Amino acid sequence: MPGVLPVLRWRSVRVTLHLAAVLAITAGITFVCSRLIRVNATTIGFAYLVAILVIATAWGLLEAIVASVAAVLCFNYFFLPPVGTFTIADPQNWVALLAFLVTSITASQLSAHAKQRTREALDRQQDTERLYALSRAILLTEANRTAPKQIANQIAQIFDFPAVSLYDRDTGDIHRAGPEDLRAIDDELHEAAVQGTLFHDEVGQTTVTSIRLGGQPIGSLAIRGSSLSDGALQALSNLVAIALEKVRGQEVASRAEAARQSEELKSTLLDAIAHEFKTPLTSIKAAASALLSGTVSKTEEQRELTTVVNEEADRLGRLVTEAIQMARLEAGKIQLNRSMHSVEELISAVLQQMTAVTEGRRLEVGIASDLPMVEVDPELLQLAIRHLLDNALKYSSPESPLRISAATGERGLMIKVSDKGPGIPERDQSRIFEKFYRGPNTHSRVPGTGMGLAIAREIVRAHGGDIWVESSAGQGAEFCIAVPVTAREETA
Amino acid sequence: MSAGRILVVDDDPQIRRVMRTTLSANGYEVSDVRSGEEALEKLHAASYDLVLLDINMPGMGGMKACQALRQSRHGSELAIIMLTVRNTERDKVEALDAGADDYVTKPFSTPELLARIRAALRRAPSSGPELQRINLEGLEIDFESRRVRLRGREVRLTPKEFDLLRYLVARPDKVIAHRELLQAVWGPDYGDELEYLRVFINQLRKKVEPDPAKPRYLLTEPWVGYRFCPPKQT
Repeated sequence: MPGVLPVLRWRSVRVTLHLAAVLAITAGITFVCSRLIRVNATTIGFAYLVAILVIATAWGLLEAIVASVAAVLCFNYFFLPPVGTFTIADPQNWVALLAFLVTSITASQLSAHAKQRTREALDRQQDTERLYALSRAILLTEANRTAPKQIANQIAQIFDFPAVSLYDRDTGDIHRAGPEDLRAIDDELHEAAVQGTLFHDEVGQTTVTSIRLGGQPIGSLAIRGSSLSDGALQALSNLVAIALEKVRGQEVASRAEAARQSEELKSTLLDAIAHEFKTPLTSIKAAASALLSGTVSKTEEQRELTTVVNEEADRLGRLVTEAIQMARLEAGKIQLNRSMHSVEELISAVLQQMTAVTEGRRLEVGIASDLPMVEVDPELLQLAIRHLLDNALKYSSPESPLRISAATGERGLMIKVSDKGPGIPERDQSRIFEKFYRGPNTHSRVPGTGMGLAIAREIVRAHGGDIWVESSAGQGAEFCIAVPVTAREETA
Repeated sequence: MSAGRILVVDDDPQIRRVMRTTLSANGYEVSDVRSGEEALEKLHAASYDLVLLDINMPGMGGMKACQALRQSRHGSELAIIMLTVRNTERDKVEALDAGADDYVTKPFSTPELLARIRAALRRAPSSGPELQRINLEGLEIDFESRRVRLRGREVRLTPKEFDLLRYLVARPDKVIAHRELLQAVWGPDYGDELEYLRVFINQLRKKVEPDPAKPRYLLTEPWVGYRFCPPKQT
C-alpha cells in the first residue's frame, strides 16, 4: 500500500525529534538555573512547570510526561540537597518533588486534552463544511447514468481522499476516483454491500461502509485516508444513498415514459394501418356484398360497383407493396432498379394511379418543356411522389387547390408538390420526415400511418437526392424533391 | 317514392361511390359530401332523414360533426349512423354519446348496412296503451305530436330517444328487459347492444330528470332492464 509507510515513518521521526527537543529544553533550563543565575528551588520548579505546560500545549501528552519525569530527575539531582545525588535528605523535599510531579502531569493532561478537543472541533467543522459541499454537488448533479461516477469524484475532491470506490449494487458497477487505487479491497466492498458490514483497516487507513436506504444495503463506499468521525461517515453514506436513489428514481421514470411512448406509438400506428387497409376493404366488401345480395339490378350500377372493386383491389395491392417497401427500408435494404425515363411520364403515371383520390380536387400540373430524361427507379420515385401528393391531399381542405411541378435547377431535377393547407410549424419541419412522426394536432383528425414521408425521404436519398419542405404557418406547404439527373455512385 | 333521403359523409371517394350506387339502387335518395363541414352546409340547404357519417375524416372529424349536426336546426329529427374502423366498447359509447343512433364497423356488408338504415329510420310502433299526453312535474310529453316541453320550454329529443321514452312511459312501474327495449326501439335485429341503452337512457335522464344523477322516473333495474316510475298524483 503506497503512501502508508512513509506516513508512519514520518510520525516516529517527528516524535523522536520532539523528545530530543524536550530533553534539550529540560537540560537548558537546568543549565541556566544551576550555572548562570542563582535562584531558589521554588522558582526553578515553576520554570520547569511553565516549560512542561508549553510542551503539552504544543506537542501533546507523551512529550509532556517525558518532560515532567526529566524535570523531576534534574530538579532532584541538581537542586535539592544533597546536590549532585538522587538522594533527598529532607523529607519535606520528597513532598515538594512529588507535588511537582503530580502537578506537572495533571496540567499536561489537561492541556493536551484541551488541545485534542480543539482539534476535534475543527475536524468536525471541516467535516460539516465538506458534507454540505457534497450535498450541494449532489443536488446539482443531473440524475443520469454517469451520476454515481460524478459523485465518487466529488467525494474524492471535496474530502481530499486519495482514493474512493463507490459500488452500486443495482448495476454492479464500481466507480473509482482519486489518484490512488483501491482495487485490493474490492472483496470487502462487495461484502459490505451485501452484508451491510463495516470494515476498517488501520494500517491501510481504509474504511469500507455500506450504503443503506430504508435499512437495506444498496451499495458500499470505500475511502482511503479518511479521518472522518463515525457520525460524519454515516452522514456521507446517507448522502450517497439519497443520490443513488435519485438516479434510480429518474431511471425508472424515464423507462416508464419510454414504455408509455412506445405503447402509444404502437397503438397509433396500428390504428393508422387499420384505417389505411380497411378503407379499400370497406369499398370492396360493400360493393361485392351488394352485388351478391341481388339488390343492385341495373347493368350500369353493377358495372360501377365492379369497377370500384377492381380499383380498390389495386389500392390494397399498393398498400401492401408500401408496407413491404417500408419493411425493406427498415432493414436498410433498398435496391434501385434504374432506367432512363421522362419526367412527364413519371408524373402522369402517378396522377393516373391517384385519380380516385384526387377526384374533385383542383390540381394544377406545371412541367417544364425542356426536361432531360432522368435515370431513376421509376416505381420507387413514383411512390415517393405519390406520398407527397397523398400528404398534400390529406392535409389541405377539399376546396383548396394543389400544384405539382417539375423543372431543372442547380440540384438537378426538382419536383415540387404544394398545397394551401394550414402549413407546418417550423419546429415540426425537420421531424415530419421521421418514421411514424405525425404532427401533434393531426393524430385524431387525419388518417395516415406516419410512414409516407419517411418512405419518400429514403427513396430520394437512395437516388442521391434530397427532400425538404418549405412552409410557414397558415401559408400552406411546398414539398421539394431534388434528384441528380444522372446516376451517381450510390451511398445508400 | 323514395324510401328516405340519405346524406353520405366520407372523405374516401370510393366509399362514397359505392354508397351512392347501392343506396340509390335500394330506393333511397342519396347525396354525398367529403367532410363534416360540407355536411353541415348541405343540411342547411336541404333536409335529410339519415346521415351516414364516417368518424375518421380531415377537418372537424366525425365526432364533432355528429355533435354539430345534432345541434343544427332539424338535427334532433335526423337519424345518424356512424361508420368507423374501430369497434371497441369505448369507441361505440363515444359515438353514441356524440349523438349517433347506431354504429357500423368497417368493413361492413351492404345488406347489414341496409338493415341498420331501416332500423334507424323506423319509428317504433306505438303498441300498448294509447297515450296522448303526460305531465311529470313541469315536464310535458305530447305523444301525438312527438313534442316534449320542460317548464314551457321545448326539449329536443331524437326520434330514438323519444321512442325509448314512450315505450317506458306507456308501461309504468313495469320492469322492461334490455332485449325487449332494444327490439322495440331499434328493431328485431337488435338485443345485445346494452351500451346503446346505457347511453340513451343517460341522455334522456339529462333531458327529463330534475336531477339526472338521482333519477326519479327512469330507473335502472340492475342486470334486468329499466322501469318508468310515474310521479305521485297530488
